[in-house]
Amino acid sequence: MAIKIPKDREVPFGAITPAPVKQQDLFITSNWRIVRPIIDHEKCTRCFTCYASCPDSCWSYNEKEDKMEWNWKFCKGCQICIYECPADAISAAPELDFQDGVHRLEKPF
Amino acid sequence: MGKVTEITVWTRGVVMDKEARDVANAFGQAAKMEGKFVQAFDNYEDLPDRVLVTTRKYVRISDEEIEMKYLYTNAHPDVVVIVEPTIVKGINVLKGMPEGGLLLINTNRPIDYMLQFIPNADVLGCVATVDADGISGIRTVDFSGSEGGVDTAGVGAGIAAPILGALARVSGMAKKENLAKIVSDVAALERGYNEVKLEKFRKARVEYSWGT
Repeated sequence: MAIKIPKDREVPFGAITPAPVKQQDLFITSNWRIVRPIIDHEKCTRCFTCYASCPDSCWSYNEKEDKMEWNWKFCKGCQICIYECPADAISAAPELDFQDGVHRLEKPF
Repeated sequence: MGKVTEITVWTRGVVMDKEARDVANAFGQAAKMEGKFVQAFDNYEDLPDRVLVTTRKYVRISDEEIEMKYLYTNAHPDVVVIVEPTIVKGINVLKGMPEGGLLLINTNRPIDYMLQFIPNADVLGCVATVDADGISGIRTVDFSGSEGGVDTAGVGAGIAAPILGALARVSGMAKKENLAKIVSDVAALERGYNEVKLEKFRKARVEYSWGT
């Protein structure tokens, strides 16, 4: 959805967003991340500790495939899930090792 | 008014905020020692009080008095310094840069690897990298909230020193001897000056003389 906004009516990033949505696609903050969490599905016990500890609700459970899913759009790389995981299934990887996974912005935030 | 060289320093909020402020302020101060006219700002437009958010610091250097007051952001940065290399992935750091500008990144990765994250790299005249984290390894963090007013850690104690050394050599706008009077970690400044890697592009560019 591309809405043409005149220059003098521009507002900061995230100032106006549609209200009841499941995912706020106008407020993607993936470029805050230095490292990203990588999950090992074999080690994962589905204990949902990452789901409960994530401040941005970036971990969710995929019932069909029976595995935890990571949302790259809003993960800020705080590494809380890595420290909290009791099975040591999540590890940190530098963001620059990957080509994708960051939404490129023209403005800082 | 003569040519004003604009330098923009990109960093991450809180965790590397002080490092970038040291780069901006110390480089401006060193240029001022050589009789140039300098402006340096930080904490405008962005919200730097959040951990890891991308923020900018600004320096302007000119041989004549700078008459562009009241405008804090650099619309056309000649030099862009990246204190944390992941920023090139998420932000268009070369926005507004004139042809032949300079990009300095703090990273230990090869220059070609970093350039693949910059789709508009063809405006660049020179790319330089310095492994400041490998040289210094210290990131001074300032939680006082005084924005540099009260600074017990000292200017240029962490990764700012090697970045300043590299910037002095590649841009040539401030002398290393003057920077050594300001920063506290002079050995890291020397190593950054000597260990900077740069790649110049062969295309005919504008009047800049990076890395001479």
